[in-house]
Amino acid sequence: MIRARNLTKYFRVHRRPPGIGAAVKSLVHRHYETVKAVDGVSFTIERGERVGFLGPNGAGKTTTLKVLSGLLHPTGGEVDVDGFVPFRRPRELLGKITLVMGQKSQLIWDLPPAETYAMNRAIFDVPRDQFERTLKELTELLDLGALVDKPTRQLSLGERMKCELAAALLHRPTTLFLDEPTIGLDVAMQVAVRDFVREYNQRHHATVLLTSHYMDDVVALCPRIIVIDQGKLIHDGDLRQLIKTMDPHKRVSFTPTNHVADDELAKLGTLIGRDGQRITVRVTERELPAVVGHVLSSLHGADLAIEDPPLEDVLRAMFGKTGKGNAEAAS
Amino acid sequence: MIRTLKALPTLLRIGVAETVAYRAEFLVWILTMTQPLIMLGLWTYVTRDGAFRGMTSEDFTAYYLANLIVRQLTGNWVAWQLMEDIRLGTMSMRLLRPIHPFYAYAASHVAAIPFRTVVALPLAIILLASSGAHALTHDPVQIAAFVPSLVLAWLITFAVMFALGSLAFFLTQTNALSEVYFALFQIFSGYMLPLAIMPRPIAVIADWLPFKYTLAVPLAILTTQLDGHELGALLARQGAWTAAMLVLAIGVWRLGVRRFEAVGG
Amino acid sequence: MTRYLRLFGVQLRVSVAQAMAYRANFLVSGAMALAQIALTLVPLIVLFDQREQVGDWTAPDMLVVIAYFIGVKAVLEGVVSPSIQDLVQRIRDGSFDYVLLKPVDAQAMISASRYEPWNVFDFVGAIAIAIYAFVRRGSAPGPAEIAAGLGLFVAGVLAMYSLWVTCAAAAFWIGRLDNLQWLLGAIFDTARWPVQVFRGAWRIVFTFLIPVAIMTTFPAMALLGRLDVETALATIGGALVMLALSRLVWRAAIRNYTSASS
Repeated sequence: MIRARNLTKYFRVHRRPPGIGAAVKSLVHRHYETVKAVDGVSFTIERGERVGFLGPNGAGKTTTLKVLSGLLHPTGGEVDVDGFVPFRRPRELLGKITLVMGQKSQLIWDLPPAETYAMNRAIFDVPRDQFERTLKELTELLDLGALVDKPTRQLSLGERMKCELAAALLHRPTTLFLDEPTIGLDVAMQVAVRDFVREYNQRHHATVLLTSHYMDDVVALCPRIIVIDQGKLIHDGDLRQLIKTMDPHKRVSFTPTNHVADDELAKLGTLIGRDGQRITVRVTERELPAVVGHVLSSLHGADLAIEDPPLEDVLRAMFGKTGKGNAEAAS
Repeated sequence: MIRTLKALPTLLRIGVAETVAYRAEFLVWILTMTQPLIMLGLWTYVTRDGAFRGMTSEDFTAYYLANLIVRQLTGNWVAWQLMEDIRLGTMSMRLLRPIHPFYAYAASHVAAIPFRTVVALPLAIILLASSGAHALTHDPVQIAAFVPSLVLAWLITFAVMFALGSLAFFLTQTNALSEVYFALFQIFSGYMLPLAIMPRPIAVIADWLPFKYTLAVPLAILTTQLDGHELGALLARQGAWTAAMLVLAIGVWRLGVRRFEAVGG
Repeated sequence: MTRYLRLFGVQLRVSVAQAMAYRANFLVSGAMALAQIALTLVPLIVLFDQREQVGDWTAPDMLVVIAYFIGVKAVLEGVVSPSIQDLVQRIRDGSFDYVLLKPVDAQAMISASRYEPWNVFDFVGAIAIAIYAFVRRGSAPGPAEIAAGLGLFVAGVLAMYSLWVTCAAAAFWIGRLDNLQWLLGAIFDTARWPVQVFRGAWRIVFTFLIPVAIMTTFPAMALLGRLDVETALATIGGALVMLALSRLVWRAAIRNYTSASS
């Protein structure tokens, strides 16, 4: 179980404007700013949950993950992972957690992943038979095959990520912190990674905390979403709930059989799109039954569809409001 | 040629910028040239019991401090630059520029000289303030001859390093080469020990290698008594070696570039 | 404990594998090691061609000091320096985080993470020089001297290691370390002469501040039977103190890293 109570993490950053004059000045007097990366975040995550952290760049997601895994010590508040204080990095806890960072690799570059696995086995003191079993399971689930015997630098990004995941899980951790694990991967590989994580979670009842820029990762994998923006937690709950809270509208799309005048359309709701024949309008939940009825009876709309607003739009609107840029800003 | 001359100010300016950018590295690189001082430590200890092969404590002090100064002013890293550029492939870019790389590299080195002089100056002051000052020549002609000797030493060093670096066109593993070069340099240039105290065979071989003319000769001009005839001979031989090494450098370079272009870089 | 031994074993195997990846190096490295050793000996050869003795030190005695110098240097360039370079690289590309996430002491993990195995040639050379020195001397060291010589060799290596770890801790603040390492190496170079070569202030510096004396002079003197018990114990004590201090500095560096890395 993971518990965070009023977690805060501030960084003192030395900001220096460019130019020689400022450089010289900075030798004598340094100007520090406090960056509030995490500002009073609280949540509780039970064993076996899959939770997604969403938020724009610089929102504090990765910082939170680092605090939870013990890489950073918090400025304030309390953190508790399985009864341990993470930043003390107690051996017992380290043997139970794992952190995978999509942007950084733990595999030895010039040598095959198999060597990294051997190293990790020694470090985590995994008995040989358990190691073999786990490796076999991971090889199957991730379809590693002969990849583990090729030098890491010869692997493609996707292959490397798979081997990376295996390296991270050799010691059968029960808590997985995944920081942008699918970054840079093609769609097929992203799906493979997602499926793997879900499978591992179900088999070993492992807790999964995931941060990602890809909506699909979070939507597909995490029933529970925590949204962080500018260090603050602005939503904690399931996806539908989030969308409902942020954007309590539905989207109604249909193909009209007759021509629909503009003023008629305006009566239905806000026009979102007119894609060839297809019309999409935004409608509040309250108005929904009336609009649907009208479309079917008066306008004879065909192929009627009622959908929730897409998550990207919801988040874009959310973060657009705070002026932080949108959450889908992956490179 | 005209184009090169016109580009010279820019090249120098860029060289200065490079020097400033790498100032921390340079500073430490300078601080790591400690071998002369370490050797000096030994010889001051030794000469407490009396002169060693005709060299007194003051002679050694003057020799090694001047050694540092000359090294400071003539040492260069063009071999390393060439090896890196060839290894990383950035040499292709340099070859596409209208300025011959020789001048480009030379310019960046020349641009660093003011910086190196600033570092050499305190050393010179220390030398003059130390007991070694007695061992320096008082002959104004010799002192005057020191400058051209230094210039020739710089040119020879640059040319030899340029040739050495150009070998990277032919070899993939250049580390061993650099080590061998530096080992030879240490012995035959007088960097590690004055050639005067080395066994006869070494001193004889040193005459036929370029290293001596990059260090031992300027040092001799500064620290030993030479008559006009000897001085002239030394400078003339330095000049001859300068010409020879420049020819060698361009020769190895040309062969290397041809190979480079043939292989596709 | 076995965990750490196995870890070191794997790291050594990995490094050797990497070294073997460049096959041509075997002979070249052996030759280079010989050349380097020869170079180190040149000043002494020139010196003792003329003199029998310099101050308190005869030729064979100084050879023993040089032997220790080459031996400690072999450990330095064979294990310590490559490992520290590995550490700096990890800090720079962020994979040092993974070191902190492992249930082993971070300092242990980075201390012997990379090897340059060819330095074993230098080590063998050092032993050969020491043997030759005793042959020249005409007498062999007794068991007490050998024990002291070995014990103080370990102390010397630990002292050198502590110095480098302290320097490495600076990498967390500075980020780039190549030059600082070069600087330390240049200072270590003074260990090739007996510390008595230096006078006054320098001798104090090299005995207490950057104690190269601990690394080569005193161990050599122990092997030669020239070291009194007090100094021997003080040397060992000094090395342990340095080790403890370097550990403190390391811990401070990690604390700083885990408060600042974003």
